[in-house]
Amino acid sequence: MYLTREEERILAGEEGEAKAKALEVIVKVGEAVGAERLIPIKHAHVSGASYMTIGDAGLRFLSRLAEIGARFSVPTTVNPVSYDVEDPSALPMVRLSPRVVKAQSEILRALEAMGAELILTCTPYYTEVPRRVGLREGDSVAWGESSAVAYANSVLGIHTNREGGPLALMAGIAGRTYFYGAHDPEWRKPRVAYRLETPKVLDETEAGVLGEVIAAQHRDEHPPLLDAPLGGEAALKEFSAAVGSAGSLAMVHITGVTPGDPGGAVEEVVTMDYGDLARRMEELAPGFEPDILYVGCPHASIEELRRLYRALSNAGERAGRRTVVSVSRSLYLQALREGLVERLRGLGVRFVRDSCLIVSPFSSSARGVGVATNSYKAYFYLSRKGVKVGLAPIEALPKLVS
Amino acid sequence: MEVLRFRSRPIVGGEAEGPAVVIGSLSFYGEVDPETGATSSGKSLAGKVAVIRRSRGSTVGSYVIYALKENGVAPLAILMEKAEPIVIAGCVLAGIPLYDGLPPEFFERVRDGDRLRVYSDGLVEILGPRKP
Repeated sequence: MYLTREEERILAGEEGEAKAKALEVIVKVGEAVGAERLIPIKHAHVSGASYMTIGDAGLRFLSRLAEIGARFSVPTTVNPVSYDVEDPSALPMVRLSPRVVKAQSEILRALEAMGAELILTCTPYYTEVPRRVGLREGDSVAWGESSAVAYANSVLGIHTNREGGPLALMAGIAGRTYFYGAHDPEWRKPRVAYRLETPKVLDETEAGVLGEVIAAQHRDEHPPLLDAPLGGEAALKEFSAAVGSAGSLAMVHITGVTPGDPGGAVEEVVTMDYGDLARRMEELAPGFEPDILYVGCPHASIEELRRLYRALSNAGERAGRRTVVSVSRSLYLQALREGLVERLRGLGVRFVRDSCLIVSPFSSSARGVGVATNSYKAYFYLSRKGVKVGLAPIEALPKLVS
Repeated sequence: MEVLRFRSRPIVGGEAEGPAVVIGSLSFYGEVDPETGATSSGKSLAGKVAVIRRSRGSTVGSYVIYALKENGVAPLAILMEKAEPIVIAGCVLAGIPLYDGLPPEFFERVRDGDRLRVYSDGLVEILGPRKP
């Protein structure tokens, strides 16, 4: 791999042991995938921050890095953790053990010592961070959260590979990543297109299920091209989350959404029928009365909160009291200013910030609980933990509660 | 028995010699106990040259590899067909020698307990079968 003189200096340890190690990881991985050089990144987003997912091994890894003086070289944000840091009791049906709180606090301390900004969210793109960092179309970042990776490439035109937790961390410390995959304009040109014949614009739940269908079919190394009407912000978020959880796609070039030209390299067109999608929707529909209505996987958008308020206002009060929303701290503040938080809380809605039902202890303690959600990704992970999950868009959720 | 020699690609350098533990496919996260180095199939990585043809699974795997080293139960080296980023990141940080690009014949020949020697230029030798 070609390295600049500055990169060679860093590798030689002139900017400290930790930065040298971090760059060494990036170089080794880059060499293994055949990258020829490194590129600077403007921002890193670290996944694997919840004690429930990384455990003691992850805790020790992060503490040790902080001890040897690791510091982020670029602005760095962090994925959700085990509980709402300001209101640990916000999680439904969870009694937090002191051991989890202690370990989670140590993880947060290590990340903070390294200079991370503790905005604990899987939707860094809904926070003030991109504006503050000055992220623009075509910029390279290193994000470790799969749903955010697909959203960055497909919706924002910001370039990132699916780094995985430790690699995004190393890239943040080194301030660089290897030039490969999504950073390479050639890779971003789709060769296989998917066209959905549909009589209607897809809501966020249908968009998620479409993500599952495409992730299951697509085999080409380049991203797929998609012609389908995805209706609104939540549909784009849920679609991105689905292709990153049901599959491992880092990008889908969505006609009319993804910035830039798809490149004219399409060799194959697959036509899909709305009927296939509708059948899968039926399989995933809730066939039970849910104990919890869940919105906010990935962390909710303002559009979702507004729609949820309208839907709950027209429903009985039991629906509101069973509703849980997970949001980023930044978006919560925005919703607070708009009066949305007060209005939703007035209907009995519970807010969980910094965390969610998947990376908190909820997912392991809620075996047998019935959850209805608008999120395919939440379905994917919660159902694998033994939680009963059904899918429906926001407008249909309150009607499931009698 | 004659010594069998194979070429590999060094990713994290370092020499090692010891008994082999042979695994077809492994997810470090969920299938390896970071406290003991034992795998869920009942093998032990501790103090062995780990022949792991392929890896899979969560990115938390890097953390598990690092924890094996911290807990003193790491393998002496890891030999693979193809190393993926999760394993590379863990091995670089833990300083565990990692080699990939070994040919299919190597994986067909090597058995649990065979004595292996790994040189930093990527040469891998099967010195002989396990000692009785």
